Amino acid sequence: MIRMMLTELAVKRMMHLGATEAETYMRKTRATRVNFAEKIGNFKTSETMGMTLRAVFGRRVAMYSTSILDESEVNDVAAKVVRIAKASPEDPNWKHLNRKFGSAPATGYFDAEVKNLETEQIVESLNSAIAHVKDFDKRVKPALSSLSAFSSNVSVSNSYNEGGEREETSVLVSLQVKAEENASVSNAGEFRGAKFWKQINLERLAETASEKAIRFLNAKSLPSRKTSVVIRNQVFANMLGLMLGEPVNAESVQSGRSLLIGKLGTRIASEKVTVVDDGLMQFGWNTRPFDDEGHPSQRTLVVDEGVLRNYLYDAYTSLKDGVESTGNCHRRDYWIRPQPSPSNFVLQPGDATPEELVRDVQDGIYVEETIGDWLSDPISGNLNATIAQGYLIENGESAQSVKGMVLSANFHELIKNQIDLIGNDLKNNMQYYSPSIRIKDLTIAGQN
Amino acid sequence: MLMGDDKTPDMCKMLDKALRLGAEYADARFQNYDYELVTVENKQLKSYSSRRLGGVGIRAIIKGAVGYASTSDLSPVSLEKILNTAVKIAKSIKTEETAFTHLKPNKANTKLDVKIDPANVSPEEKVAVALDSNKAAWVGDEIKNALTWLGIARDRRAFVSTESAEVNVETSLVGLLHMSVAKVGDVMESTMYWQSKCAGFEFINSIDTNTFTPDISKLAIHTAQSKTCPAGTFPVVVEPEVMGVILHEAFGHASEADFIVTNSSVLTSKLGTQVASEAVTLIDEGLVEGGYYYPYDDEGTKKEKTVVVEKGVLKNYLHDIHSAQQLDAEPTGNGRAQDFENTPMVRQSNFYMQPGDFTVEELIEDIDFGIYVGEKGLKGGEVDPGNGTFTFGVGPSRAIRNCELAETFRGVVLSGSILDTLKTVDAVGKDLKVTTEVFGVCGKSGQAVFVGQGGPHVRIRKMTVGGR
Repeated sequence: MIRMMLTELAVKRMMHLGATEAETYMRKTRATRVNFAEKIGNFKTSETMGMTLRAVFGRRVAMYSTSILDESEVNDVAAKVVRIAKASPEDPNWKHLNRKFGSAPATGYFDAEVKNLETEQIVESLNSAIAHVKDFDKRVKPALSSLSAFSSNVSVSNSYNEGGEREETSVLVSLQVKAEENASVSNAGEFRGAKFWKQINLERLAETASEKAIRFLNAKSLPSRKTSVVIRNQVFANMLGLMLGEPVNAESVQSGRSLLIGKLGTRIASEKVTVVDDGLMQFGWNTRPFDDEGHPSQRTLVVDEGVLRNYLYDAYTSLKDGVESTGNCHRRDYWIRPQPSPSNFVLQPGDATPEELVRDVQDGIYVEETIGDWLSDPISGNLNATIAQGYLIENGESAQSVKGMVLSANFHELIKNQIDLIGNDLKNNMQYYSPSIRIKDLTIAGQN
Repeated sequence: MLMGDDKTPDMCKMLDKALRLGAEYADARFQNYDYELVTVENKQLKSYSSRRLGGVGIRAIIKGAVGYASTSDLSPVSLEKILNTAVKIAKSIKTEETAFTHLKPNKANTKLDVKIDPANVSPEEKVAVALDSNKAAWVGDEIKNALTWLGIARDRRAFVSTESAEVNVETSLVGLLHMSVAKVGDVMESTMYWQSKCAGFEFINSIDTNTFTPDISKLAIHTAQSKTCPAGTFPVVVEPEVMGVILHEAFGHASEADFIVTNSSVLTSKLGTQVASEAVTLIDEGLVEGGYYYPYDDEGTKKEKTVVVEKGVLKNYLHDIHSAQQLDAEPTGNGRAQDFENTPMVRQSNFYMQPGDFTVEELIEDIDFGIYVGEKGLKGGEVDPGNGTFTFGVGPSRAIRNCELAETFRGVVLSGSILDTLKTVDAVGKDLKVTTEVFGVCGKSGQAVFVGQGGPHVRIRKMTVGGR
C-alpha cells in the first residue's frame, strides 16, 4: 500500500537524519458537503490528505505537517523537522513515543455506504427532506442547512512499530427550518452526527425541526429568576463534554489547569452521576480500534456514582504519571498536535422519561437549544449559556416560549448538588453523550 | 503564473476544458499556506508545530448549480479528475437558475509589506520569544499555569477564472497569546489575551515581554479574588475590542446575504429601515489599519468600503457573487473560503463601528449601576441569526456605581437581541481600534476564516448579563 510505504519512508528518513525516535501520522479524508435551503445550494467534494512527522532527538521534539504527499516532500519535511527538533530546548519529562500498538475489538465505525455515496443519492434524499418541510405546514419553510459525509483513512507508524491503518466514516446533518406567523418569526433545527448512512432519517429530522420552529414562535425574554431547569440531552451533552471532559484530561491535570487535581477517589458529583469514556461503543462518534498514536482503544470508568476514578491519558501524559495510557490520544486534524481527549464521553442514563422530567415541575424552564456554551470556562467551572429556544414549564405543562435568557452556574457545584433527575433518553452531540436532565435552583438572567 | 512554483500547471487551459464540457463559468483557486505554532507551558517548550497546506480547488457552474472539487495533488491527472468531478456534480444538481451574471473580474497582484519575513527568523529565536514571555508570567504563588503561544501564518492565494480574472494576494499574520491560571482559595480563574497583527516578525519584536504576560497574570489573580456578577439587564460601557465582537456577532452575521436568501436572518426585508440608533454607523472594509489584510475576495472581487448601517438605517447586505445575483445587488467582495478545499460563501472582512464624539469619562458619568466591560480576557461570541439572539463572553469586568468604576466581576457573559440591542446605543466614543488575530477565527458552516473587527468605546443601555 502506497500510503503505508510513505509513512514508513518518512520514519526511516528522520532516523537516517539523526532522530533518536520518529513517528508519522497520516490522514486522508474524502468529504462531501452540501448546503441547502429551499433548494440545493452548492455541492462540494474534497480530498484532504496530510501527514505529520514527529522527530525526537534525545528529549527534544518537533512536529511538521504537510498536505503534499510525495517522496521529495517527505525528504524535505524530514530534514526540516529534524533540524527544528535539534534546535529546540529539552523537555525533561520526555520518555519515549508510544510502544504499545494493537487493535481493540471496536465495531460500527466504518460504513461502506457512506464511503460510496453518490451525488445523485444525496440530492434525492435532500430534495425529499426539503419537500417534507414544505408539505408539513404552510407556516414553515427550509432555512440554511447542510449535510456532510466523511470517509477517512488514518495510519500511524513509528520507529518502534510499523503501526496500523484504520478506515472510518461519519455523516453530519444540520437541518434548519423557519416558521413565520403574523409578525413572529422562529428558526429551529435538528442536528445529527452518525457513523452510518442508515442512522440518518432526513424526513424525521425535517418533521421534528418543523414542529420545533412552530413551537417556538413568539418567544421572548422574561424577568430574571432562580428556578428548576430541564436541559435537553444534546445540549447538556455539550456542556458535560466541555466542563468535565477538559478537567479529567490528564494534560490539564498535569499542567495545573484543572480543578480536579488530586481528586481521584473523592466525591466530585452526586451519586446519580456515572460517566464512562467508551472508545469501543458500537456506532460511537469516536469509536475506533486504536488511538491517534496507535495505542489500542478501551472503555474507561471516569466517574463512578459520583466518585472520580480515572483521568484520560495519551502516551506522553501516561508516561509522565507512570500509568498505562487509556488510549485517548486524539488529533482533531492531522496537523494539530496529539493530546488526550475524550473518545465517547457518556453520562449514564437514569430512569425518567422526558415527560417525567417536566411533569413534576410547578414552575421552571425547559431548555431546547442554547448558543455560546463554549464561552464557559472549564478551568474555573463557570458554566454559561444563552437560551436560543426554550419554554416556561407551569404546573408540569409547557407554556410561553422564551429566548435570550442566560443561564449561569458553577458546573462542579451543579453536578454535586443541583442535579435533580436524570432522563433515559441518551443522545449524542458528536462524541459527547447525555440524557436530558433536570437541575434545581439555576440562575437565569433576563429582562429586568 | 503563480507563486513561482514549478509544480503549478497552466490552469487557464484547464478551465477552458470545463467550458468545453458544458460549464457556463469556471474558476480555480490555488493556495499555499504556512503556519507555525510554538507552544510553551509552565516554562517549557510544549510543542513546536509547523504546517504547510497547498492545493487547488475548481468550481464549475451549470444553470446556476455549483459543483466543486479540490485536491492537494497538483499532477495533471489529478487536476483533470477534479475538473471532471466539479462539472459532473454541477450537472447532477437540477436547477432552473441562470448562470453567474454579476461577475466583476479583476487582474491584480498584491502583497502585504513586511519588514522581517518570519520565514527568515530561526526556530531558536521563535522559541526564545515564547519562552521568555512565559517565564515572565510567574508573578506569584497564585499562578498555577502559564501557557504561551507564538503563531505565524502566511497565506498566498491565486484566483483565475474563465472571465480572465487573475488575482494574487499574499499576507502574513503573526501574534503572541498568553493565558495565566490563578488560584485563590478554592477559586481558579484563567485570563487570556493576545497581541496580533498582519505584519512580519517586527511586530512580535515590538511587544514588551516584560509587561505583556505579567499584566495578564496580575489580572488573573485579581479576577480569582473577585465576585461573580449579578444577573439581570443593565447599561454597559464596552471597550473597543468588545464592541468588535458584539458587532461581528450581533450584526455582521445577520447582514450576510446568504442568510437573507435562505430564510435565516432577522434582517430579511429590513433594508432602508431603522435597525439601530442614529449614533450607529457600521462599515465592512477590506483594508483597515490593524485589521485583516484583505484587498480581494476569493472570487476575484475587490473588497472596498461597504456601509452596512448608516445613522441607524440598514443600507446594504454583504454579498458574494451568487447572493448578489439572487438579490440583484452589487457584489461587495465578501465571497470567502477557508482554504482551497472549500467554496466561497458570504463572510465579513473587517467589520467596525465609526467613532462618535464622546470621551470614555462621559460614557460612564450618567450610569447609576452598570458594567464596564473590559477587552482583556475577551472570549468571543456566537449568534443565532434566524432568531436574533447573540451572546459573547468577556474577561473580568468592572461594576459602574454612581457614575464611577467600582469592584471587579468574574465570569461575565452578555447577551442581546440583534434587532433591539443596537437601538439602545446612546453614546459612541471618539476613539477607534480595529484588530485581527492569528489564534482566533470566525466559524460559519464548517469554515474558519481570519477576520478583523472593532470600534470605539460605546455605551449600550440594555444588555442581559449572566450571573449568579
